[in-house]
Amino acid sequence: MRFTLIKNVKRDKAMKPILNALLLFILLYIPFDIFVKSHTIGISTVTLISTLYGNADEFIDPINQSVFLEFIHMQIFFLMMILLTLSAIYIRLLSHKSNTLLAINLLMGFAFVTPLTLFLSYFYTNEFVKIYLFSFFAWHLIALFITLRSLWELNFVK
Amino acid sequence: MLNKSYKVAIIYFLLFSLLLLASGALIFANKIGFSYTSLLHYYLGDIKNFSSAKSFIGISKIILPHIFAFGIFTMVLLHFLIFTKKRATKELKIIIYLSFTSAFLEIFTAFLISEGYSFFIYLKLFSFFIFYCFILYIIFILFKSIIYDK
Repeated sequence: MRFTLIKNVKRDKAMKPILNALLLFILLYIPFDIFVKSHTIGISTVTLISTLYGNADEFIDPINQSVFLEFIHMQIFFLMMILLTLSAIYIRLLSHKSNTLLAINLLMGFAFVTPLTLFLSYFYTNEFVKIYLFSFFAWHLIALFITLRSLWELNFVK
Repeated sequence: MLNKSYKVAIIYFLLFSLLLLASGALIFANKIGFSYTSLLHYYLGDIKNFSSAKSFIGISKIILPHIFAFGIFTMVLLHFLIFTKKRATKELKIIIYLSFTSAFLEIFTAFLISEGYSFFIYLKLFSFFIFYCFILYIIFILFKSIIYDK
């Protein structure tokens, strides 16, 4: 076994399909994350508020504090691992583009705000729910763009 | 541009790491507590609060995702140190061994506590704080290196 540095991943016979598959998995993760969230804590202001604070009319109890903290803890871990992987691929493929840094900043910035605002929504005021939802959809959209852009660069740009 | 982009991605990763540590500490405080008696009651049960003792399977279910998460999280953070001035220093070796050892003790002392060896409560608390101190120190080194080193 010999360890070598790969200068051009686009031309490498092994790295190209590996990165393609990884990007495909990330591409699948993004819509599934939205789908699962829509069926658990909710992805609209009404559903999210009833999950966090409960709803007496519909006999819904507010989410348990330790369950909520565990949920956020897990979300942060998944977010950081997925986004670091995705941004590393994107930077490797598109470091020469001027908007790469902007895309990374937007992706990471919105993703960072997501768990923070959910935490503030639960412990302080429901006014953060709207910011949470905006940042939640924003990072998913940007991640989708970054994934598709990386796939395009990897396969169709010479 | 390449270096700058990687630096930005790492800065955000470090910020996420701080959030992860904060949420972890909150869960520990909320579910278990940081005192000797609260840990004793959590693992061995408490008649007054109607809580039962943690079983071997119960503890295994909790620690299973943490074994992987602690390992990968510590490894990812530590591997960034290779790109700093700490590379190939004795200090880096000490940080690597102590952070992994404290992570191991923090996870696996739960079994010994549940078996009635209450002395290990002190070891669990100590390893928890040591692990947090090391992770915070690594994050500090990385922030410093990204901001000040050229």
